[in-house]
Amino acid sequence: MEIIGKSVIRREALDKVRGRAVYTSDDTSSSVLHAKIVTSTFAHANIIAVDVEKASAVPGVLAVITGEQLPLTGEEIRDRRPLAADKVRYYGEAVALLVADNPHTAAKAAALVHVEYEPLPVVHSPTDAIRKDAPLIHENVDEYEREEGADPITFTNINNYTKIRKGNIEAGWRESEVTVEASVSIPPSDHAAMETRAATAEIMENGEIHITSSSQAPFMIKRLLSTYFDIDVGKIIVNTPFVGGGYGGKASVQQEILAYLAAKAVDGRKVKLEYSREQDLTTAPCHVGLDATIKLGSTKEGCLKAAEIVYLFDSGAYSDKAVHLSRAGAVDCTGPYDIEHIWCDSYSVYTNHPYPAPYRGFAHSEVLFAFERAMNMLAEKLEIDPLEFRLKNAILPGHTTPTQVVLNRSTVGDLPECLRRLKKMIHWDGGKPTRINERTVRVKGISCAWKNSTIPPDSISGAILTFNEDGSINLISGVVEIGTATKTVLAQILAEKLQMDVGNIHVKMTVDTQTTPEHWKTVASRGTLMAGRAVLAAADDAIVQLKNAAACVLRVSKDDLVVANSRVFVREEPERGLDFKEIAYGYQYPNGNAVGGQIIGRGTYIQRNMTHLDKETGAGRPGPEWAVSAQCIEIELDQRDFTYKVVRAVCVLDAGRVLNEKAAWGQVTGAMSMGLAFAGRETFVFDEKGRMMNPQLRTYRPMHYKENPRYLVDFVETPHLEAPYGARGVGEQGLLGVPAALANALSVAAGTALNRLPLTPETIWRAKAKEEASNR
Amino acid sequence: MIPFDFDYFNPETVQEAYHLYHSLTEAGREPVYFSGGTEIITLGRIHQLYTDAVIDLKGIPECRTAQLDDEHLYLGAALPLTAVEEARLFPLLMKNVKEIADHTAREKVTLGGNICGNIFYREAVLPFLLSDSSFVIAGKDGLKVQSIHDVFEEHIQLAPGEFLVQTITEKNFLTAPHVNIKRKRQWDTGYPVVTVAAAIVGRRLRIGISGLCPFPFRSYEVEAALNEPALSPEQKAELAISHMPAPILNDSEASAEYRLFVLKNTLTDILVAFEGMGRR
Repeated sequence: MEIIGKSVIRREALDKVRGRAVYTSDDTSSSVLHAKIVTSTFAHANIIAVDVEKASAVPGVLAVITGEQLPLTGEEIRDRRPLAADKVRYYGEAVALLVADNPHTAAKAAALVHVEYEPLPVVHSPTDAIRKDAPLIHENVDEYEREEGADPITFTNINNYTKIRKGNIEAGWRESEVTVEASVSIPPSDHAAMETRAATAEIMENGEIHITSSSQAPFMIKRLLSTYFDIDVGKIIVNTPFVGGGYGGKASVQQEILAYLAAKAVDGRKVKLEYSREQDLTTAPCHVGLDATIKLGSTKEGCLKAAEIVYLFDSGAYSDKAVHLSRAGAVDCTGPYDIEHIWCDSYSVYTNHPYPAPYRGFAHSEVLFAFERAMNMLAEKLEIDPLEFRLKNAILPGHTTPTQVVLNRSTVGDLPECLRRLKKMIHWDGGKPTRINERTVRVKGISCAWKNSTIPPDSISGAILTFNEDGSINLISGVVEIGTATKTVLAQILAEKLQMDVGNIHVKMTVDTQTTPEHWKTVASRGTLMAGRAVLAAADDAIVQLKNAAACVLRVSKDDLVVANSRVFVREEPERGLDFKEIAYGYQYPNGNAVGGQIIGRGTYIQRNMTHLDKETGAGRPGPEWAVSAQCIEIELDQRDFTYKVVRAVCVLDAGRVLNEKAAWGQVTGAMSMGLAFAGRETFVFDEKGRMMNPQLRTYRPMHYKENPRYLVDFVETPHLEAPYGARGVGEQGLLGVPAALANALSVAAGTALNRLPLTPETIWRAKAKEEASNR
Repeated sequence: MIPFDFDYFNPETVQEAYHLYHSLTEAGREPVYFSGGTEIITLGRIHQLYTDAVIDLKGIPECRTAQLDDEHLYLGAALPLTAVEEARLFPLLMKNVKEIADHTAREKVTLGGNICGNIFYREAVLPFLLSDSSFVIAGKDGLKVQSIHDVFEEHIQLAPGEFLVQTITEKNFLTAPHVNIKRKRQWDTGYPVVTVAAAIVGRRLRIGISGLCPFPFRSYEVEAALNEPALSPEQKAELAISHMPAPILNDSEASAEYRLFVLKNTLTDILVAFEGMGRR
């Protein structure tokens, strides 16, 4: 039976297309109260006074909450009050929270809260934030309570600093005959998931706190609420129904804290907080920005020798996940190449922007944009074919990563094969422009990518399999179904393992932290590895129980039994056996005696042999494997207008093993589409006062369906031996190289280095104008 | 969520609509005319528009006309933009409205709503400005026909309670050589960086522009520059640029300088295209 690789239709597909799937804000029961936030109209200002008198007087308003008494929150550094007090640090920051008996009243009253501000100078970028005379956004970051591993610098805007020191950078420069330096800049943007964030909270009489949220991290909500408010962790129960797109943005915990505070203010009654699209774009955590400088050195023959890197991640107003993002950016600070001497300083820096959540790729697409631009600039200087240059330096088994992990085939896959296949698929022409007409050229740009997932070393996942009396199985896992089809893939993993019809596996789609075993967070392309391993372990556990029961009934050794087709049978005599349904609820003898009981399989997985990073060198094993890929974006640029069209987007990814072909294809092309939109258009636009000018989908525009180019995807399959059936992550990888490949193509076509996102025609026009001015 | 309650009225005649407006106003209400409703919903929910009574014009037969006689084309203000496209009566207008919003929204957005709306691009007015069309306006004396140039200056200029019923365009204009170019910040969706509609009438080029300034316009100074016989297309475009009204928009779609860069190229392309046509 071959179930792995088959394009099994996702279990929730029909409910979703027919509008039956339930999301957090679909709770419209009349007993629910409604919360609304009041947000800052300044990017940086002292709060002089918050006048809630008028709002409180509105009939139907039950509570108005402000920030002064609230505890500090934040994942690694506790630097943020859930509602700003004393000071606001970004446009859109929540300042007050109201609860009313209906959403209209809440909205009306919210408009009556008057906040008096005293504007402060605004810090617009991480580069500005590290200047000596930059205003301090937090007076002393060092005074905040923090987790071990977060490393701020006293009296600066830097809330985390990670160092990578591999080899000897001075030696690297001595061995380098040709060098380049690239400075790149990526402004913050957003995930813009279809479902805006929402949460409900209710505090029961027995002290239990029930939260429902559009979240990728229900178990993290439970843990963080427990930490922030000193509540027994077991008293917090978090439910996640379907989530309408996460992309990392719903791995941060924000609206749940506010919903909890709102419920607490109204004697525990159930309160719903739903963000408007504007709040989802401005108030909720965003997609991180980055300023970076890359210096690369190689021999004349194109052998990479040295990489000296500074990353300034735009942490926005608060540190939250930015600390971790800047660390992840350091771990894979280069592209997937064998480089002996690496020196990298990666900083997370406060600015007056919204603070970031994870974003599909977790710092990798940003870092790769910088690094792969530098690679092309160096190839150009060396007059080497950029694809051959990458092939020559491609990372291989036996090489070491920036954090000095020695790789093998299982941990790094096969990048050269990705590049070779890409070369063939795109009819590689060296990346030279082809003239279409007087004004238009067509160019192929390429990029490589890799990604490890630097999730905490002790991250866990668990699975439970309960058997039904008809022999079918309920699969219960803590993975949140955010639209990636992971839960269907888990059913495939189980069906393959038990050699049974996948139709007889029922998948529980919702998560409830009280009855669902923990899956750390549904992020980082780790669903199939971690939850998949937990499912395999649970299947093994069930198999033992099934065989024990059957061995007893059939009077054979369990070693002689095999499980397949929803049966346990004797290997040599397949007709001698028992159907699952005969033993799933215990076995009953003809005389009425019964033995056994319901078969319940359980399995857990914890990451193996991960380590923290060494503080001085960054050495350590941060994650289980690197998924590698090679990508191409082909464009046609009008050299007068600088408008362009993306002709096709190509990705060759080492997927280890494709578990569900169409789902994998969907993930990879979806990620490419998102990468194109992020690189080509999506960005927040701030005015000189740091106010967001495009906080609506009218003006902040993700990609429209018709704007998509042709996508070509191919999979290399070098198994990751630790993972179910060898599968590597595929959720993020398709995005990673897209911004760089697009910029590489456009830079050739426009004849100037394009190192800033987004790559709109106006950006290209500006870069051209700047170059022409400097040539004059 | 629309943060206010409102009454909905569905009159069947022009008179009924006009009188409803006045009786509601006299009763201290704040009525607005309603056709597609897209602006009322999208601006209402962010507190940029308020009303407590909407008067739907879609039930009025005159507002739904799409009719061509021997001399004129009559288009009802309450026609959805998709209906304007499908009627295939006014080629320049068809091309123009096809670029507005997306198909789903165009099923709702109406011709009159786009021309009279708060969102300042109002691109659908450009073909009417170029064709010196007339507008049929409902007012206290019933229907009156006025030149577009008397009732549209940056935005529609109507007395309280008056509303646009129909447009009237001379049939001759419908076959004039024309072009409509909408340039966006990136790719195929979004508001215009600039939209330029152009037509040749009596060997003269007429130009209407949206997205450059916070209003659409047709400027005779600009047209004079573009029709300057002794100049090359680039020189004409350059000269035309110096006659643009102020202010030039500088927002999240594009900077002012970039808008002028795009406009200059667009005008040059139009001039070159029409020049080629003239030679044939």
